[in-house]
Amino acid sequence: MEASNTLILLGGMLLFVSVLASLVSARLGLPLLLVFLVVGMLAGEDGPGGIVFNNFELAMLVGHLALAVILLDGGLRTQMKTFRVALQPAVSLATAGVLITAGAVGLFAWWLLGVDWRVALLLGAIVGSTDAAAVFALLRRSADRLNERVEATLEIESGSNDPMAIFLVIVMVEWLAMGEGPGLGPLGWSLALQLGLGILGGVAGGRLLAELLARVKLVEGLYALLVVSGGLALFATINLMGGSGFLGIYLAGLVVGNRRSDATEHVLRVMDGLAWLSQAGMFLVLGLLVKPTQMLADAPSAILIALFLILVARPVAVTLGLLPFRFPPREVGFIAWVGLRGAVPIVLSVFPMIAGLPQAELMFNVTFAVVLVSLIIQGTTVPLAARVFQVQVPALGEPMDRQLLQLPARQAYELVQFEVQPETFAVGRTFEEVIDASFPEHSACVGLIRDGELIDPGPDARFEAHDVALLLLPQDSYEKVAACFARLPAEGPLAAQAFFGEFVLAADAPADDVAALYGLELRPNERGRTLDDVIRSRLGDRVVVGDRVSLGASRLTVREVEGGRPVRVGVKLAE
Amino acid sequence: MELESILDIACTRAGLEAASKKRALEQASELLAEHYCELDAGQLLEALVGRERLGSTAVGEGVALPHCRFAACTKPVAALLRLAEPVDFEASDRRPVDLIFVLVVPAEANDLHLQILATAATALNDASYRHALREADTDADLYAAAIRSPEVRRAAGHP
Repeated sequence: MEASNTLILLGGMLLFVSVLASLVSARLGLPLLLVFLVVGMLAGEDGPGGIVFNNFELAMLVGHLALAVILLDGGLRTQMKTFRVALQPAVSLATAGVLITAGAVGLFAWWLLGVDWRVALLLGAIVGSTDAAAVFALLRRSADRLNERVEATLEIESGSNDPMAIFLVIVMVEWLAMGEGPGLGPLGWSLALQLGLGILGGVAGGRLLAELLARVKLVEGLYALLVVSGGLALFATINLMGGSGFLGIYLAGLVVGNRRSDATEHVLRVMDGLAWLSQAGMFLVLGLLVKPTQMLADAPSAILIALFLILVARPVAVTLGLLPFRFPPREVGFIAWVGLRGAVPIVLSVFPMIAGLPQAELMFNVTFAVVLVSLIIQGTTVPLAARVFQVQVPALGEPMDRQLLQLPARQAYELVQFEVQPETFAVGRTFEEVIDASFPEHSACVGLIRDGELIDPGPDARFEAHDVALLLLPQDSYEKVAACFARLPAEGPLAAQAFFGEFVLAADAPADDVAALYGLELRPNERGRTLDDVIRSRLGDRVVVGDRVSLGASRLTVREVEGGRPVRVGVKLAE
Repeated sequence: MELESILDIACTRAGLEAASKKRALEQASELLAEHYCELDAGQLLEALVGRERLGSTAVGEGVALPHCRFAACTKPVAALLRLAEPVDFEASDRRPVDLIFVLVVPAEANDLHLQILATAATALNDASYRHALREADTDADLYAAAIRSPEVRRAAGHP
């Protein structure tokens, strides 16, 4: 009894301290994962904690479980609508990109460490994938609105590149353990099986889960458990059949998350906590596992490998992987910089240990240092990089809170809270006057909080500055009214006038008229077309807010996109 | 660019009554046509309305900068109106407009014209400049506030 209580106390305290330490990390701009890792290391053998933990099998189990939950959560939160702009580039990065990164790092490690080239390649594969948890946490925590194509590419890439890295590692470990490599045939078959089963199993399992979720009536808290347990069972089944469970559970999450049902909101709320618990637990365990004093011997070469990965391998892989998609150079630069490594490489570096490979210790130490360096260097500089590479777009005026409602209606509704800021359109107007013809679905102002009191707005109530308006709006439509309540910055690079230009044009305006007015230089085949046509002929179909076309004397910037097409375009004069 | 060279006090109106965007543009056209006899009010209005069809020239914060190229026009000319009651101008921030700066330039494309327009937009993006224009009671005060504003002079390259 005492022993189990000691264990619970230990686990509880570690988690407790880590969660509180996250306050410090937020203030310093450090990735939260780093905090968990450091707390684990401090509690471990070499730190003041002195806890001896070297059970690699247990660490592996925790790692697998946690990864599966994190990928499921990532899938649930990935909006399928971002696929329009990012699916193909992200898949290219998740496959070819991982291969190139692994190959380049392998080559460098082979040259630097003088080890067997297969060991070097294995090391490259271990650190080949970016971390979904770290990337999701950093991008979502950042207060700035990022270019949608960049954000979606990074998120989908990080969620879907683990299977490739895991596959490479498994192949290399088997190869090294057997002493000779399997032929190309079995290798290809194994890859096909991993990907095929992962995709098929994930989508099919996801559909089944989504269907179940929509039909059964459970106690609120159980919906999330249904999804997690179902997801984990699917993960293990696909793995046992020789497929990639990691890819499968991510896809299952994606399918469930994009199928609207009343339960989705509950699931997301519980999943958020579970994903945090998984990350914290995994990093704590991995922090405990590592012996920093032993790492010191390998530190110099590990740091060189980390720098090579950050400064050479990842940029080369991203540049080549995105080549067919014509991303602007600054977006390529930002995506290359946000190549955060995280838990997956560390979990993968346990594989060679368990297989009993020679130099497994070296790989583990190097991997650990690479992840640490990546988290410190890249993790702390994401906001800076977003400014340097200019991938931010002006904010829309975010609501204070949004809650999806559980209503027996075909359309999904959410309760949105807006603070009525002074000198905005809403001040002095009724809700009827604020919403306009562009708002066909039913919506209502259901309450007003004025001086801390909730008052019944009635149809004639007028908004006052500093009121909090409670609005019932169709899901994801708040952007249409946000500008009526929020004051946006008038100065700085992200002010609307500085970013989009002085005037707003309708995207269906004739390009010839605009060209004559503002001195745009059109190509002969663009005469007689609309601005929309001109923009898409120059930029392709993956147009997002913030995309720019310079045409002679003036510059066009996409200001609003609907259904994949620009609808409003800003024009900056005499640039 | 100096604002004095394109804006005449005769084309400046403080506290103008206009019930709608259309009416405001109409009054601006008439004002310009009265003072510059080469301009025809009806055609000018048509050109300004044609520009609005490509997208509203309101830039937010209650400001609009209607503009157009006009064949009969020989040099850039402007009008400045402050409405007694703001009117809906289909602005992005949806706020009604009371400060209207109209610019008419010759038909042939010229970077200088774009510069003038960009400078005016930058000046009107400044809260203290807008405040000064809204405080002016008479046409003369409005004109003085418009051309004396340090923001305009700075933006136009006159320290």
